[in-house]
Formats: sequence, C-alpha cells, structure tokens
Amino acid sequence: MKAYKYIGQSVVKVDGKEKVSGAALYTDDLEFGPDLLYAEVVEGPHAHAIINSIDTSEALKVPEVLAVVTGKDFPFNFGLYMKDRFIFAQDRVRFYGEQIAAVVARTPQAAKKGAQLVKVNYTPLPKILNPLDSIKEGAELLHPELKNYEHVPWFFPKADTNIAHHRKIRKGDADKGFEEADYVLEDTYEVPRYSHCAIEFHAAVAKYDHSGRLTVWASSQSPHTQRNLFAQALAPLGIRHNDVRVIAPHVGGGFGSKAGVTMEIIAAAIAMKVQGHPVKVMWNREREFYNTYQRLGVVAKLKIGVKKDGKITALKHDLFWDAGAYVEYAANVVNAVGLSAIGPYNVENASIDSYCIYTNLPPGGPYRGFGYSEFLFGLESHMNRIAAHLGIDPIEIRRRNIIKEGDLTAYGAHMNPNGLLQAIDKVAEEIKWNEKLKSNDPDIALGKGFSLFWKAPAMPPNASSSCFLKFNEDASINLLVSGMDLGQGFLTVMAQIAAEILSVPTSKIRTENPDTDRNPYEWQTVASHITWGCGNAVRKAAIDARDQIFSLVSRTKYLPVDTLYLEDEKVKCTTHPKFALALKDFIINGIQMEDGTFKGGPVIGRGVFMPEYSSTNANPETSQGGHPNVHYTVGAAAAILEIDIQTGKMKVQKVVEAVDAGKALNPSLVKGQIVGGILQGISTVLYEEMKFDHRGKLLNPNFTDYKIPTALDIPGEIVPIIVEVPQPDGPFGARGVGEHTMIPIAPMIANAIDDALGVRIKTMPITAEKVCLEILKKGK
Amino acid sequence: MAIPYEFAYERPETAEQAIKLLGKYGKNARILAGGTDLANQMKQGFRVPEILIDIKNIKEWEVIKMVNNELHIGSLVTFNDLRKSQLIREKLNILFEAAGLVASTGVRNRATMVGNICSAVACMDSAAPLLVHEAVIHTMSIDGERAIPIQQWFIDNRKTAIQDNELVTHVSIPIPEKKYAGAYQKMMRYSGEDLSQSNVGVLVLSDNKYHVAFGSVGPIPKRSLKIENLLNTKGISKETIEEAKAMIETVIAPITDVRATKEYRMHMTKVMFERALKSAVERFKQPKLITQ
Amino acid sequence: MKKISFKLNGETRFLHVEPNETLLDVLRDRMGVKSPKCGCDNGDCGACTVMLDGKTVRSCLIFAIEVDGHEISTLENISKNGLSPLQKAFLEKNVFQCGYCAPGMILSATELITNNPHPSEHEIKEALAGNLCRCTGYTPVIEAILELTKKD
Repeated sequence: MKAYKYIGQSVVKVDGKEKVSGAALYTDDLEFGPDLLYAEVVEGPHAHAIINSIDTSEALKVPEVLAVVTGKDFPFNFGLYMKDRFIFAQDRVRFYGEQIAAVVARTPQAAKKGAQLVKVNYTPLPKILNPLDSIKEGAELLHPELKNYEHVPWFFPKADTNIAHHRKIRKGDADKGFEEADYVLEDTYEVPRYSHCAIEFHAAVAKYDHSGRLTVWASSQSPHTQRNLFAQALAPLGIRHNDVRVIAPHVGGGFGSKAGVTMEIIAAAIAMKVQGHPVKVMWNREREFYNTYQRLGVVAKLKIGVKKDGKITALKHDLFWDAGAYVEYAANVVNAVGLSAIGPYNVENASIDSYCIYTNLPPGGPYRGFGYSEFLFGLESHMNRIAAHLGIDPIEIRRRNIIKEGDLTAYGAHMNPNGLLQAIDKVAEEIKWNEKLKSNDPDIALGKGFSLFWKAPAMPPNASSSCFLKFNEDASINLLVSGMDLGQGFLTVMAQIAAEILSVPTSKIRTENPDTDRNPYEWQTVASHITWGCGNAVRKAAIDARDQIFSLVSRTKYLPVDTLYLEDEKVKCTTHPKFALALKDFIINGIQMEDGTFKGGPVIGRGVFMPEYSSTNANPETSQGGHPNVHYTVGAAAAILEIDIQTGKMKVQKVVEAVDAGKALNPSLVKGQIVGGILQGISTVLYEEMKFDHRGKLLNPNFTDYKIPTALDIPGEIVPIIVEVPQPDGPFGARGVGEHTMIPIAPMIANAIDDALGVRIKTMPITAEKVCLEILKKGK
Repeated sequence: MAIPYEFAYERPETAEQAIKLLGKYGKNARILAGGTDLANQMKQGFRVPEILIDIKNIKEWEVIKMVNNELHIGSLVTFNDLRKSQLIREKLNILFEAAGLVASTGVRNRATMVGNICSAVACMDSAAPLLVHEAVIHTMSIDGERAIPIQQWFIDNRKTAIQDNELVTHVSIPIPEKKYAGAYQKMMRYSGEDLSQSNVGVLVLSDNKYHVAFGSVGPIPKRSLKIENLLNTKGISKETIEEAKAMIETVIAPITDVRATKEYRMHMTKVMFERALKSAVERFKQPKLITQ
Repeated sequence: MKKISFKLNGETRFLHVEPNETLLDVLRDRMGVKSPKCGCDNGDCGACTVMLDGKTVRSCLIFAIEVDGHEISTLENISKNGLSPLQKAFLEKNVFQCGYCAPGMILSATELITNNPHPSEHEIKEALAGNLCRCTGYTPVIEAILELTKKD
C-alpha cells in the first residue's frame, strides 16, 4: 500500500482554531450596519384553512414599520424536486404555523408589534394529521393542483389524491417467493417525526441593492442550490442567476435542516420589496421545531419470507410516509427509501411501495439518514424476530443474507465493493457476541442488540462538484470549493487531498465556506456525498495544477514529465537526484529562461466531477433498468443495554460501530462522525418525539420538553471501528460516512431490549416510560 | 431576545429600602434574585411587572448559617451555594441531594432556592426536602415580619401564601436533636437536566418516625400524614411498604401531559417512594449523615 | 436608560441600557462580543454561557442592568493571550464539529478545572450537562478534559 503523508492522517481541522477561540462567525454574528431591517413572520393558527383576507393596514401604522409583504406579493411556487411550495401562503394554509406575511421594520420589536396587528380571516377546512387518513377514500385533497406541479422526471404523483409520489419496486416474483417460504413474518412498525436540533437557528440576511444585485447571507448546507432556487422563484421579478450571490458563513449544525431552501427564501423575497436595505430574518427555537424541515414519520408494513435456514425468499415493504404539507424535498426521501428498503440483503423477490403522502403537519424534509433510520428500524427488528423464530443466531441469519459485491440491488444494479462482512466480524468480536450477559442485580436486565446498516447518497444523477485551486507567491494555496463544512471536517479533508497531490502542507492551504460569486459550483452538502464528490473535484484540480507544473518544468528545464514528482513543496526528478525546484520560486512568476524571458505564470487548477454513469431512467412500475444510486456505504453496530426493570430506565453500557469508509481520509474526523452519530441515534430511539395536539400544533417546540441528550446521557463506552474496502471511484478510495453512523442505532436498541426482557417494541421512540409500561403489562 | 415591554429596575442596598419599594408597587413589582425563572416568564409574557426589585445587594440574605438549632438559608442562596456548603452537606443531606438535580451548573450558579419555592411551579425540587424538614419561611414587609410554616406556604400551582407587599428573607429549618437521614428521588426523562415529573422526599427520624413528601404529582407539593402514620405505627417491613405504596394512589393526583402519562407517574412515584425510604433508612443506620 | 459600568474581558466599560435588555443581546448586538450564542433563549442549551464574577451563567436569563458593578468574561477573554491548555487540547483532538456550542462548553469546562484541577469523569459530565451539543456526542470533549487534567 502506498504511504501517504496527509491522507489517512488525523490532521488538525483547518477551522479548528477559529472554533475553539470563539473567532468563528455564524450568520447572526455578522454586522450589517445601522441600516439593517428586521422581519417578523406572521403565522397561521390553523393546520388547514382558506385565507379569506389579510388586512395589513394596522401593522403599517406602527412606527418604524416599513413594509408588510404577503403571498400576493409573491405568487410564485418553488421547490427542489417538486414545485409545490410558495414563499408565503397563497389562498390557504396547510400546517399550523405556516408563514402568511412578514412585517419589516427598523427594530425587531416594531416588526413583532406589527406582526401582531396583521389581521387574517380564515375559513377552517378539515385537517389530516395522519398519512393513513390521508389516503382514505374521500379524504380532503390538500393539493388539488398536484397534477400541475412541475417535478423531476423520477417522481410519480397521483392526480386527485394526496399521494405526491409513489416509488415502486418489483424484483423477481414476491408472491412466488412467499409461497416458497417456510416462515413468513408480517408486522407494522411506526416511527414518529423528529427534529434536527442544530443548536444554531436558521438565519438569513438579504440585500437587494439599487443596482439589482441580490446578496443573501445564510446558514446553509446548499449555497448554490439556494442561489438556483432564489433565482428561479424570483425570476418573475427580473432576477437572473448571476444577479444572486449567496454567502455562507460558518454553520452551527445542519443534519439536513439547512439543505435545500426553507426560510431563507423569505429573506430573499422580502429584500426585493425594501430595495437598498439589508433585511434579517431570524428563526427562534420554536420555529426551528415547527417551521423548518422535519424528519418524516412513517408507518411501515413489512413482510419477509424465509427458508428454514434463514435465507430470505421474499420481502414486501409498504411504507406510508407522513411527508407534511409540502413535499418538494421530502418526496425524495420517500424515493430513496423506496429504492433501498430491502436493506443490505441479497433478496431475489422483492416488492416495495413507498408512498409520499401529504398531511397537514409541517413539511418533511432531509434529516441525517434520509429515511434509512426509519425503514431500518422495522427491517432490522424483523430480522431478529425471524432469527428467534427459526432458532438461528441474529448475526448468523444476517451473514446468510447480506448483499455482496456484484449482487443485484432492488432495482437491478450491481452492488459496489464493500466491507460488510468485515464490519460484522469486527463488531461481533468487540461486543463479545457469543458471551451471554448475566445480571447480578434482580432489578437490572441486560441485553445485547445488533443491527446492520447501509445507505446510498440520494441525489440527482448529475449532481456535480467543482473546484478552483489557486497558488499564491509563497506556494500557499487557496482552495475554492462550495461544499459546506457543517462540522464534519469537509474543508480539512479537501485540504488533505490537495496537500497529498501537491506536497503542500494542509497548514498552507486556506479553504473556507463558500461565496457563490467566488467559489465554483457545488450541488449541495447533503447525502454524505461531499467527501466523495467534491473530493474527486479537488483531486482533479490538484492533478490539473500538478500537470501544469510538470509541463512548465519539463519545457523549461528539459526534463521528461514522467520523471518529475512533487515532494516538500519542490519539483524533483527521479533521474536527477540533485534537481529540486521550489514551487515558490515559480508558481506565480514563472521560470526565467537563459534569454531573460519568463515562461509559465500563475498556476490555477480546475476540477469538475459528475458521476456520468448514474441514471434514473427506469421502468416506473418496477424501478428496474436505472442506476439511481452511485454506491452504498455499509456497516454494523452492536450494544450492551442495561434496563432498570422497575422504572424502564435504560443505560447503554457499550456501543460498537463499524463503518466501511472506503478510505478514512482523516480517521479522527471519521471517528467523530461515528461517536456523534451514535448519540444522535440513541437520542431518537430513547428520548425524542415531536408531539402534536388535535389541532396539529406542536406541543414541545423547545429543549425543555423535546429532550436531546446531555453529557450525562452518553453511553458508558463507545468503540468506533473503521473498515476500509476502497470505493473504486472515490478519492483515494473514500466514500461518505456522515449520515450512516446514526441509522443502525434504533433497531439495535430495540433488539437489545428484546434480548433483555423478551419484549418487542415496534413504535419509536422507545422511552423508559414505554418500556416500563410494557414490563408491567407483561407482568400482569 | 429583549423583553417585549418596558419596566423599571431598582437595586436597593438594604432590606428596609427593598420593602419600602415593594410596599409602594405591591403586586406590580417582582423581586429579582437569580431571575432564571422570572426572565423566562417575562419573555413569554406570563409576567408583566412594572418594576423589578433586584435584592442581590442585600448581603445578609446570601448567608447559610446555624442559629441555635435552626439552619437559616437566605433568599440569595443559590443551588450551587447549597452544593458547596459543608453545613448543608452535613445537616440537610436531602436538600443537598435535591439541589444537585436542579437544572445544570450554569443555572444553579444563579437560581436560588427561595426563588424556587416562590415561583412554586409544580415541578420544583426544593419543596419535598423542605416539607419533610418542616421548614419555616420568613417574610418581611412594611407591615412587619411573618413566619409561615411550609405546610401552609403552597396554595396552588404558582401561588403561595406570600402577600403582594412581602418578600422572603430566609428559610429556617429546625435541625432534629437526635439522629436523622433523608433521601430524595426525582423522576426525569433522562440523567441530564430535566424538570421533575414526580419527586419524593423521605426523612427518617429517631424513634421510628418518618416524614414523607411528594412533588410534581398535583398542583402543590405535599406531605402525606396518612403514609407517615402508617410507617410510624407499623414500622418498616415489606408489607408496610407495599401498603404505603398502595396508599400513594389515594394521596397523589398525577396528570398526563407532554412529559409523562399519569400511569407512569403513579408507578414511578411508588417505586421512588420505596427507593427513597430504603435509602434514607440505610443512611440512618450509618454513623454519619451520608451525602451524595 | 440607565448608565451602567462593568468590567468586560478585563476592561471597564460604560453603557446606557434599558432594563428590558438581556445581557446576551447587549454583549452581542451592542458590544460586538460574538462568542456567546443564542441557541434556545430560555436557559436550556448553554450556548450563551458567560462568566459573571468567575461563575458560568446564562446570559440570556440575565438583564444587562444587573451586571452593573460586576465582571463579565467571555471566551474572547481566554483567547486573547493565545489558546489556553484546554483550548489547545480541544483543537489538537479535533473535538468540536460545528463549533456553535464551543464557547459555552469551553467556559463551563474552564470553570470546572479552575475549581477542581483533577475532576472525575462524572464531575466533568455534570459540569458540561448544561451545554447542549448535537454534533460531537460529548465523548471527545470529556476525553480531552480527562487527559488534560489527569494526575501524573
């Protein structure tokens, strides 16, 4: 194996010093001067209602109020994958808390006062708070215009229903597979909605200046996608793409919530109405909960047939997603799950129906794991139950069924090289799977749980990344990319890739969050694709720069290109050991020839990456024939769980998780993803739940009653394990790991509870209360 | 965010100045000590005082001290002051234990115990320890001073026996002459910062006497003389504990809300009662009062 | 409006404030001190942590007028003479991810090790339990503190 100097090293994060010193600036930390205006959003107090009229006259009388904008000002729909959304509600509101208007004022207080005086007259409509109600015959249509919405070609909305998209898989013959089975288990699993809970609120400041330039500063995972959607949505007002500039400061956590476009467009639109002034829109903690994307809820009906030896003969997975009032992003979660809901198994006969269903709850959207946590909860619970029925060890039954390189996925494409078997072995060994746990305390039950996971990036087939690499006089580098460092360490890893190829240390490479005017295109920082996709673009840009360097040195020093290499910021030659030309001596100002002329000039590398083999052209009735996913990242996790039998309280004593990173470009950052993801997973299964009342109003939009864990709630021990089976088209073999780390956790815990108590819980979250009440029920 | 309305602020230097101000503004004034609850109340518009009277300059109320056989805790004593006090650790282990479960360090550095019982939200942590120790709350106003036994202090959720022109100067806790030990149990959704969904305080006194109090399972925290009588007359045995646990059903009135169901609250209260009782008894047997 | 004076990061500052202004808003919006962040605005998350007379407090729950005559210190104060050993330990181990909770977390940890130079693992967890972090899983933070403060 080639020895690398920067790749594979736990290099200190390039933005680390900013973050530990308090220097890092986030959107709300930026100063915009005394002309800054503040907007307060007016929200609807109905889950579903017709808006009869909006009276803004009283609000406009409040001193220091400059403008009140409503849906009438922006009758333009927008959306990432399906244009079913508006900047402000038009004729009706579809979820409790939907934005109807905004009041713009000199101070936040005046804006708030104005917002309280906007009078809206409503006629309430029947509301639907559950996906199963929404698909019932005769259910109120939430989007009568559904058939007219523009959408990507791989969505299949059902006109005159509340089904915005239906992803259908038919592989082999499921009916025949069930007939051949010795045992069939069928059951329903339910997962509620969850909130991302990034600690930083969404924030956006926009300015439409008198020259027609629209600049937006936003806490964002997707600066270029935001630019695209702002330009599309505001095109009727005369905005072109190059009029829009999105600047992304540091982001205080994303987890999917800051992908696509949510509240940022409110700032962009309002700015158009108060030309010349910067205007700030700040969410607060409550709105973070009820008016940004939420993780979708799902009711999943799962049926698996197996032979006596545990071999799966057929799988049927019907998933009814509570996608919320607008599904412009959520529908792609439903799509991604539809494609992958057979799990990391080699299943010959499969039938999957994944339904994206409108409800009168806040819009669903991307959340770390992109639907995989939700369907794996049922699937990996099911595998344990089947194993128990057959008397096969839960890990053994998985070994017998796992998907291997070259096997066919549900949609008929070949599985990529992967280290799933290695991950299983390493986890089983570390958790001492074969040793039975024994509790010495009659009040404490102990159990072990195990789960596999897999996930592919869910993205359009042409999602692109690009990079500019600029050398400076001292051979330091400005690396311009437009992925976002959300804390995962993306910028550091990009610097490592360039460093490795160009022999310039990461400490001399400056790479920062983007400005769409300065930095080249990137689709979005989502889908755990950024290390892979943008890493490839950076690799190409570095190679491009290196080729320019070698070409210049070759023609000026008369050395063959294939004898040149870079080491310690110098060009060296394999055939002339004494030759060493420092990059700083020519990288900007060129090389002087004997006649006094100069050759060369500033070296600028350029790299673009788009996966050219990806395709969504498949038969909509079967999903066979396309290549919608570029590759899967796989792994396994196991835990030891301790349960207080009297109270149901659980303590995770130990968690082991192995993920196949292909190549861990920076092991400390990969481990950071594993450890952080495990706790986020534990939190969703043990503590978190969005609770809505009968009006569709969220009852716990705060950390007082939506509990995310503290330092006192972490597992006793965490063992992160990195497996490295290279991804052939990944930079240095790398593939993404960011989302994956949390997705096996819920079924792993459910399986551990079953192991400890013989109690199977099929609805999330699995709180102490739920476990305790189950124990009491069982005791009776 | 700024509080969305205007109000005045005074920071008197003496108790006399404070009660004079309070006498002038009455119910339109709020006393500001730690402010951790008050600031939230004001942000949400639940409280709209005309004036805040900040008492933090009145140093005599910062004190924890023994006066004869009583332990005095001033109205400016924070939960972390309680945690750091050797006196509390030695004399009031149940309060020491409860104080460690209030919110988190950054809040405990500011939040006061007296503020806690003045806010009188159902989920407060100091009530049960003070109830089992038969604390007395001392108030002051331009009309004079009052000493209110804690059993008479709580009137309803967020309502106490305090008059509009009164403020609390300190709480006094009689220290039993003979041996005693207490234990506190709190129901939380996890180990980190959480508001109590039920809590139980048990104090074991010499001569087989027991004090038992429940919090968060009704509008006000309360002692249960019924359960105490049972334990006092029958002593501790497996049977009496079961009898007492059954009795809890008639003593408390938990509700279902966003934090927990009444069924789980009821069950947990019984479990916590048993655990607190056993733990207090265990501590009582030790040569010295044990603190956590 | 009332004129107050207080020591901010070692420097005596004078300012006119309204009683309804919170310390967090005044520090951030009127004094340009940006390390204290708003993450919930009701004392749950700890992102707004500052030191008041040497103790960590929630600046979102304090009125600016209350700090008249007192001393406020933020992460900027610790950073101005180069990184502290604690900050260096966090930096070298890539402890933080998005970094939004870092200022509050570092102040809480600083208060802990100032009062208790060799804390136990449980004491570290207790001290950090008021600072919510969604990225790190806390484990790396705790491990870095443990390693820095272990007895030789």
